[in-house]
Amino acid sequence: MTEEFPPKAKQAEIKFSDLTPYDKALAEKAVKSKSRRDMLKLMAVTGVTAATAQNLISGAGKAMAETPKKGGSVRMASNLHGPDDQLDPALFTSTIDYTRGRATYNSLIQHADDLSPQPELAESFESNDDASVWNFKIRKGVTFHDGSKMNADDVIYSMNRHKGEDSKSVIKSVLASIVEWKKVGEYEVQAVLDGSNADIPVLMGLFQTKIIKNGTTGEGNGTGPFKMDSFEPGVKSVHSRNEDYWREGANLDGCEITAITDPVARVNALIAGDMQMATVIEPKAFRQIEAVDNVKLLSTPAALQLGICCLKNTAPGENDDFVKGMQYIQDRERIVNKILRGAGSLGNDTPISAAHGADFCSELPQRAYDPEKAKFHFEKAGIKSAELFVAPVTAGIEDTALLMQANCAKIGFDLQIKKVPTDGYWGAVWMNEPLNVVTWNMRPTANSQLAIQFGPGAKWNDTYWNNDRMGELLKASLSATDPAERHAMYCEMQTLVHEGSGMVIPAFSNINDGIAANIMGMPTVPLGQLGACEWPERIWLA
Amino acid sequence: MMTQMVLRRIGIGFVTLLVVSLIVFMGTSILPGDVAQIILGQSATEETLAVLRAELGLDQPGYVRYFSWLGNMVSGDLGTSKAGGASISSLIDSRLGNTMKMAGLVALISIPFSVSLGLYAAMHPGTWLDRSVTFMTLSTISVPEFFIATLLVLILAVELHWLPSTAYLSGNESGVQLLKALAMPILTLVIVVSAQMIRMTRAGILNVMSSPYIEMAILKGVPRRRIILRHALLNAIGPIVNVIALNLAYLVSGVVIVETIFAYPGLAKLMIDGVQTRDLPLVQACAMIFCGTYVILILIADVASILANPRLRHPK
Repeated sequence: MTEEFPPKAKQAEIKFSDLTPYDKALAEKAVKSKSRRDMLKLMAVTGVTAATAQNLISGAGKAMAETPKKGGSVRMASNLHGPDDQLDPALFTSTIDYTRGRATYNSLIQHADDLSPQPELAESFESNDDASVWNFKIRKGVTFHDGSKMNADDVIYSMNRHKGEDSKSVIKSVLASIVEWKKVGEYEVQAVLDGSNADIPVLMGLFQTKIIKNGTTGEGNGTGPFKMDSFEPGVKSVHSRNEDYWREGANLDGCEITAITDPVARVNALIAGDMQMATVIEPKAFRQIEAVDNVKLLSTPAALQLGICCLKNTAPGENDDFVKGMQYIQDRERIVNKILRGAGSLGNDTPISAAHGADFCSELPQRAYDPEKAKFHFEKAGIKSAELFVAPVTAGIEDTALLMQANCAKIGFDLQIKKVPTDGYWGAVWMNEPLNVVTWNMRPTANSQLAIQFGPGAKWNDTYWNNDRMGELLKASLSATDPAERHAMYCEMQTLVHEGSGMVIPAFSNINDGIAANIMGMPTVPLGQLGACEWPERIWLA
Repeated sequence: MMTQMVLRRIGIGFVTLLVVSLIVFMGTSILPGDVAQIILGQSATEETLAVLRAELGLDQPGYVRYFSWLGNMVSGDLGTSKAGGASISSLIDSRLGNTMKMAGLVALISIPFSVSLGLYAAMHPGTWLDRSVTFMTLSTISVPEFFIATLLVLILAVELHWLPSTAYLSGNESGVQLLKALAMPILTLVIVVSAQMIRMTRAGILNVMSSPYIEMAILKGVPRRRIILRHALLNAIGPIVNVIALNLAYLVSGVVIVETIFAYPGLAKLMIDGVQTRDLPLVQACAMIFCGTYVILILIADVASILANPRLRHPK
């Protein structure tokens, strides 16, 4: 339990090929930009000397010079699957669905590694002055796998499935601000909003916004880089390269997508070479992966929160001092270093992490582990015991709860942990029991991350904390164009959540996956496992 | 006499199936959350839940859903999966084949192996071989199967690279490739089920060996080997066949841990997935298959023990 991440012993003779893809990306960035800041960042992350960093950077230069090779295929093992595996993008909820969606379909927009929205099936996009009407020019000459042409009708049909009374879409409320989709021409559509929203392009890149053929529910017939050869829910799907793709397309000849639900078996299959990619590597398996040469760990910093919700509309969370006690009893350093084995970052009881870039409020003082203060607040609240419902919704959350329980016991507070299974958790426990745990996939913008969980009256306001100022800022920040003004707004919002909400966020987990060492060109989009499932079109085998 | 017994047992079997389906229906219904909530997960809202529930027919009262399922089932229609929309027969079809393939291969190896090892141990009680068989079977019975499975994976796949770590089937394997892919789960299951059958065979034979007619045979000077094979085995066959039947039924319905560890798409895992997604028609269909397997195998075991033991044909 004492090793650090990455292990110190390896650093003496560290080579470019030893780096995790994230570090490689850093090194490549340092080469491209020739910037001292990027180089210093690389040195800080990998913990190497300047001389070594120079070597790494030349290695990165070499790797970049290598051109992607065509051919080969990979098998990916996700962590969950079952009879509810979907080909209908509107119902995608798991990594395995997202990956199949990424291989089979396209969206109007896709996210780059730095989360900027890039045109995909939309050739270009623009808005009016107050960002309340958005126009998307649709790419011409794109065909579905069945040979039919894709045009504005397909786009409007696909988008309308997320709205209206009979919509069962997972992102219905996320896209609720879009009042109407209008057809402007054969290859142009327009989204009319009920107000300003500068984030619309980013939202058009969500996993569920795939464009499907007019009148269908997806059914595996998309415009994407891979055709679907077979699909068995809960077993596997087989994909082969779409040779008629509208852009250069995939390097792989094919891929097979399956899941191994047992975490130990998943790591073993990766190491034994039966799988080339495995999602959700638990921190306790890091050492096993680092000990072998044929696989590498992909640890991408992300705002994947380990959240503890104290409901503000009921006891004990309605008492502000109780929440403060829960926040001060978090031994955040220990959670990151021991439970997450370094593959994470400190949380400051807000859902925004450094992974959100400029909108992260680094000025907000970090809340530290302070049992005395926790004791003071618990006593002031007059509460001596509480019951926390915990399901393994994300890596490390159960251990975090147990650590919290032990630290609470030291100050004479009786925290009971009620362990429950994940199935049924979201309907029966989350947002119902007064104290429960939560995690959220990282959202592409700080605004959507804050709005989904802390917007007054938002559907998934999971601490029932309604703050009017928060609502005003969420709206105003969407049209703020001056960077300083925008940052001040986001800082105020994070301070509001940090001070007043019922959320306890001691840490953020990295996204941890394992891939075969010969997989190159791995994306690092932090919005989901395996580079937010962007890999099918981008990776190649060395 | 025999036909009457078989017919009566089949009748009881159908009643059992009906009762089991009712219990499974009620059991799955009291689990928290329904299939609509599981599909939409964390992203569920009241409106989307209502739309999805209406689409899946979950807005109807429970007894209506049960009887419409029963009606379809009797007419041979297993229905469609509530969770994914695929037809249940298509979900079950390939899985049933996989399960039968695995159970068949395990049975083919483990039954002759355990019965002969059990017989051998019974023929030479107290020898070092008997003692080591007893020691081995007791050890494997006490060790959980996920431990055996994980240990085998670590040694044979991760360290030695002899066998694949998962029983992943692409669907176009040749016979040898198929055997290689299935070798590890088969080995695990052979170890797990053999122990019990070996012990039962040995104990059953030794039990009969203490009866007076065996003593008579010994006094006549019949060789021990002949006593066991001609006189003891036939009388001990009832309990042995029953243990074999129970183990076979276990191989069809109870191997979910092995299926999970080796990512083998079998029926047991399908049923667990069905429970986790609250996919009632799927759970029901699997339950019917498992229950039917038990009914049929136990029936066969009873018929076999009656055939082997004439006394049972004329109950007092």
